[in-house]
Amino acid sequence: MDRNQIAKWLKSPAKMANKYSLHAVYFCTGCGIIEIPPVITTRWDAERFGIIPVATPRQGNLFMITGYVSLKTLKAIIRTYEQMPDPKYTVGFGSCPINGGMYWDSYNTIKHLDRYIPVDGWIAGCMPRPEAVFIAITHLWTLIDKGKADGYLRYQENYAAYRRNQEMLFAELEWPPLYPCDSIAEEARK
Amino acid sequence: MIPSLQKDLEATFKGVEVTVVEDSRMSVLAPRDSIPVVLRYLKESGLDHLALLSCVDWIKEGKFEVVYVLTCYMRNDTDYTSDQRLHVLLKTEIPREKPALKSVIDIFENAEPYEREIHELYGVHFDGHPRLIPLLLERDYEIPPFRKDFDTRKYVEETFGSIPPVEG
Ligand code: SF4
Repeated sequence: MDRNQIAKWLKSPAKMANKYSLHAVYFCTGCGIIEIPPVITTRWDAERFGIIPVATPRQGNLFMITGYVSLKTLKAIIRTYEQMPDPKYTVGFGSCPINGGMYWDSYNTIKHLDRYIPVDGWIAGCMPRPEAVFIAITHLWTLIDKGKADGYLRYQENYAAYRRNQEMLFAELEWPPLYPCDSIAEEARK
Repeated sequence: MIPSLQKDLEATFKGVEVTVVEDSRMSVLAPRDSIPVVLRYLKESGLDHLALLSCVDWIKEGKFEVVYVLTCYMRNDTDYTSDQRLHVLLKTEIPREKPALKSVIDIFENAEPYEREIHELYGVHFDGHPRLIPLLLERDYEIPPFRKDFDTRKYVEETFGSIPPVEG
């Protein structure tokens, strides 16, 4: 262990533990997922950074969206995100989740992921190399240290706005709001 | 194999146009109503694999062209080098207004998802299909999105462009 960090460990052990044991939800979308097997296996070995893929969202706290997001996938992403326990961090991987990338005028892929779920950081590129994942992770550490990786808090705060955007795309969401809020469907019923 | 098949087809069915594209490949244009019989005939002549079902929108002619891509399974290694190899494109033209075709699921069972896909992307109706519900898409589109008169840019502007950013 890095001796310089002992003070930090003593001050906020939970935060440090969180930071060094990121559990990535094994959720694949788009082409970018092809870079994830080398990242987590021997060649680049993400476990050096304390990252390990987990099978269910209920065990994970790192969510990487690895490519273009079609409407059907977005639905699954929202559900997965809402199932993850706090604190949780989202990273958009590749240019497609950032602004649509080369799918910017596709009839079935969304353009800006951060209008539907909060995102803590982006990795630009089409597609980014595994090294970029580790750069992103070290940046994420810094953000967690400074308390700026607060996507899950922003989601609670602005839940009404997020939910409204989600409902603008999907007329019927099959699940009730995660936090109490006036959804469009509710208003229409009233 | 191809020349004899061509002769048989032209002799058996009325209104069938056969073009031989290559030694082992031909394209068959059949009237809409005779698709099931021609398909069954081709299946019995050894083209037992429906590889793909696709559709082309000829908007100027006001037609859809539905294409059945047929090949045959190779049974022995030697088949790959012999002239047993076959590749047949069975095409039919239907009007763009109220496009409908008979489903061919009773001949090739794997046509089911292909027909569903063409139904949702081009709006072609398949009579006798047990469940013509959306396969890939999540929203309702006024015009099916693969038709040439679907304005993708406008749709994207209106749908995704109208969603406001949440913060900042
Ligand atoms: S950013 Fe590039 S590699 Fe990634 S999903 Fe989009 S097109 Fe594919």
